[in-house]
Amino acid sequence: MIDDDNEPSIEERVSAFRGDDWEDEMRAVLDEGEYDTELGIQMARDARRLVAGELEEADFHERYHDAVVEEFGVDDRPLETSDESAASGHLPVAAETDEEELERREVLQKMGAAGAFVGLGAWATAENRDESASAEAAASDEDDPNRQWGMVIDLDKCDGCLSCVIACSQENQTSAGSNWMYVFTYEDDDQDGENFLVRTCQMCTNAPCEKVCPTTARHTRTEDGLVLTDYDVCIGCRYCQVACPYGVNYFQWGEPDVPGSEIDPHHAYDDRGRWVDSRPPKGVMGKCTMCPTRQDDPDRRGTTGCEDACSMDAIYFGDMNDPESDPNQYLETVREENPTDRETFANRPSDRVSTFRLLEELGTEPNVVFVGNEPGPNAKQVEGPVSYEEMGQVDRRKDVLDEETFAGGVFS
Amino acid sequence: MRSTSRRYHLVLACVLVAIGLFLAGWAYQLQHGLIVTGLADWGSSGGVTWGLYIGAFIWWVGIAHGGIILSAAVRLLGMDRYMPVARLAELLTLAGLSVAGLYIIIHMGRPDRMVTSILGNYHVTVHNSPLVWDVTVITLYFVMTATYLALTLRYDLVRLRDSLPDRFEPLYRLLTAGYTEREDPVVERMVWWLALAIIILAPLLLHGGVIPWLFALIPTMPGWFGSIQGPQFLTIALTSAISGVIILSFAFRAAYGWDHIISDDVFRGLTLWLGFFALLFLWLQLQQIVGGSFAAPLDQSAATSAKLSHPVYLIAIGMVGVSLAYIFAQAIRPSLFSKPRAVLASVTVLTATLLEKVFFVVEGLMYPTFSLYEATPGSYVPSLIEMGSVVGTVAIVVLFFMVVSKVIPVVELHAIEHLQERETAEDELEPPADAAEMEVGT
Ligand code: SF4
Ligand code: SF4
Ligand code: SF4
Repeated sequence: MIDDDNEPSIEERVSAFRGDDWEDEMRAVLDEGEYDTELGIQMARDARRLVAGELEEADFHERYHDAVVEEFGVDDRPLETSDESAASGHLPVAAETDEEELERREVLQKMGAAGAFVGLGAWATAENRDESASAEAAASDEDDPNRQWGMVIDLDKCDGCLSCVIACSQENQTSAGSNWMYVFTYEDDDQDGENFLVRTCQMCTNAPCEKVCPTTARHTRTEDGLVLTDYDVCIGCRYCQVACPYGVNYFQWGEPDVPGSEIDPHHAYDDRGRWVDSRPPKGVMGKCTMCPTRQDDPDRRGTTGCEDACSMDAIYFGDMNDPESDPNQYLETVREENPTDRETFANRPSDRVSTFRLLEELGTEPNVVFVGNEPGPNAKQVEGPVSYEEMGQVDRRKDVLDEETFAGGVFS
Repeated sequence: MRSTSRRYHLVLACVLVAIGLFLAGWAYQLQHGLIVTGLADWGSSGGVTWGLYIGAFIWWVGIAHGGIILSAAVRLLGMDRYMPVARLAELLTLAGLSVAGLYIIIHMGRPDRMVTSILGNYHVTVHNSPLVWDVTVITLYFVMTATYLALTLRYDLVRLRDSLPDRFEPLYRLLTAGYTEREDPVVERMVWWLALAIIILAPLLLHGGVIPWLFALIPTMPGWFGSIQGPQFLTIALTSAISGVIILSFAFRAAYGWDHIISDDVFRGLTLWLGFFALLFLWLQLQQIVGGSFAAPLDQSAATSAKLSHPVYLIAIGMVGVSLAYIFAQAIRPSLFSKPRAVLASVTVLTATLLEKVFFVVEGLMYPTFSLYEATPGSYVPSLIEMGSVVGTVAIVVLFFMVVSKVIPVVELHAIEHLQERETAEDELEPPADAAEMEVGT
């Protein structure tokens, strides 16, 4: 009655990626393709051993180099024996040029979805597991162990159009009023006119929601610092929503508006095979995810649905630990554009840009940085330039939920 | 006895109907999801995340914890007068903890995953999550109370076996397995140590610990945050439990004519204790109000002033106040005391603590530190299903007592023996036979 039966198609369609029958499922996929099924299966098996630490990375490459060249005509992966790598003190992962990266993608495509998922998904994990991975590998776009996805949001650029809100709800097929992205229009004592606050999940490094979760469903993805909910583990106790200071969590109180059959499994399961993206099923907690399946996809890495939709260019998503990333570069640019007169006043700060993190004093270490003014203690949310309703969205979700409250009308 | 029996069946029928309705409501909720409750998300949605289910959970745990503290205190401090109600209090603990556990399950969006998701990750989550601490300590307490009860029961069952219904023979045999008289002093010592552990653990860990910590550790809900919640919750546990025991004692005395076992003295004493803990309860409320109003940070003073202007809070506090006033008056002028009045005061206090607990949960979520949302404070009216759960769980506890009283003696044999030692001159009956007749009603 309350099982995942209501989400059959997602489960079925992705079972190829998960569980014990992955081999059968994969064999079926590979059989359809033009390449050698046995090779694919064997590689995937060894890839699993590689992740489990039973097999050296270099051994894995050596074992398959010839076969892969024969089958696909190219193998971009490094060939070096484990002895050599031990001698050189780091894993033999070379920095990639764009060309190499392209070739690699080509191989990926040739190997087909299933092979790529198991083979190269495992590859990535193995690199992360090994702390001696070279600095070059760390700096590569593929796997930066210090990566922390986050955002810089320029509130002075926002005009309150709600495009990001709509884009997010469409991309993630959230139910009405589950505003993973929420834009406040507010008035404040010392600020004239309309001010905006664009609120996603703050992707806290010290996330209270994660701390209180009784199941580990709410967790931080170690490779990139995204705070996610494993929809297969969550028991729907809602403690995360209670503990989050920002009110960014939206529980799936009833059946989701969009049935599971309409959700693309590639947009549901991340590269660890955990169901963390798109809207949650009934009885499970959801919130802004910062689009993990985009971050797993080399073609769309570093983008989010809301950022893409923002025509005012107010949202900059990227690696907050990388000085070269979009958000950090943007911060640097606005700072440079607003210098202070330090020649006359040597003690002034370098720029006139106001930045803040929301409720930073709570110690949550949020990874969203705002450019613009922080709402003060007397700030008051007001009707925006366009209303949620005008844009086909729901602002106050309780209005929708109340319709199904059992005999709720009796009391109101 | 015929009339007692008919009354028994009547009550039984009502209780079963109530439980049936509650289960139907729950089934409906499982089918449609928690959307059938009056709950919603806090924040832009304009609701509250937790409500009556969590409030009722705290309430039942409070009754349960208070019950066992009462019983342990009677044993440790040798408060012989209350011996006849000690086992009622222990049974109330078991029943209360069970329905509290049930509330945790009802409250979940995915109760089917409780075991896999919680136990499977226990080694990780036990370090962080107050909810996991709660589940742990409640389980521990259940085991301790059950052990405590089982140990004291062995003594009674062996001696009263002949007067107990044969139907439950396998159960009695299980409970008294391997009994010899030589174990009596050992068991008595074990029970004493268990009582000591309970007395120490309860205030530290339970209603003064993990249960309030569920809330008191959340710094962004100013209505909850702070160290006063430990003592505050403890006073609520004790007032609720004493009220519960007074009501139970009254019911059993009336049903079985136990006037000489649960004497008027017991009621007077319990009522005074109720007054004492009600006073502590109000005193700690006062601390919070004064602290939250004088020169508190903005979020805290918003929460406090909202509390002071909300009818549910005022009614709850008023009810405790009126009960306290009555208890004070009857202490000064004993003629004002009557058992029905004591029961009325107990029902009033129990209602008030339930209201206060639900309000506490809801209000905390209505006045978060981050209050920019126009939809905050949200609103919440429990749905019929949620309200039905309170009636349903009360019915479950009543049913528990109705069944248990048919199976095991609900008054300890020690207590009866004790009473009879005092009354030997008048009483010529064999103590065990007499006791059994009184305890296992038919
Ligand atoms: S903003 Fe809230 S939900 Fe997001 S990581 Fe921080 S505490 Fe968790
Ligand atoms: S609702 Fe789910 S994710 Fe949130 S705390 Fe509970 S189990 Fe964890
Ligand atoms: S980052 Fe992704 S999930 Fe978060 S608001 Fe933007 S589109 Fe929605």
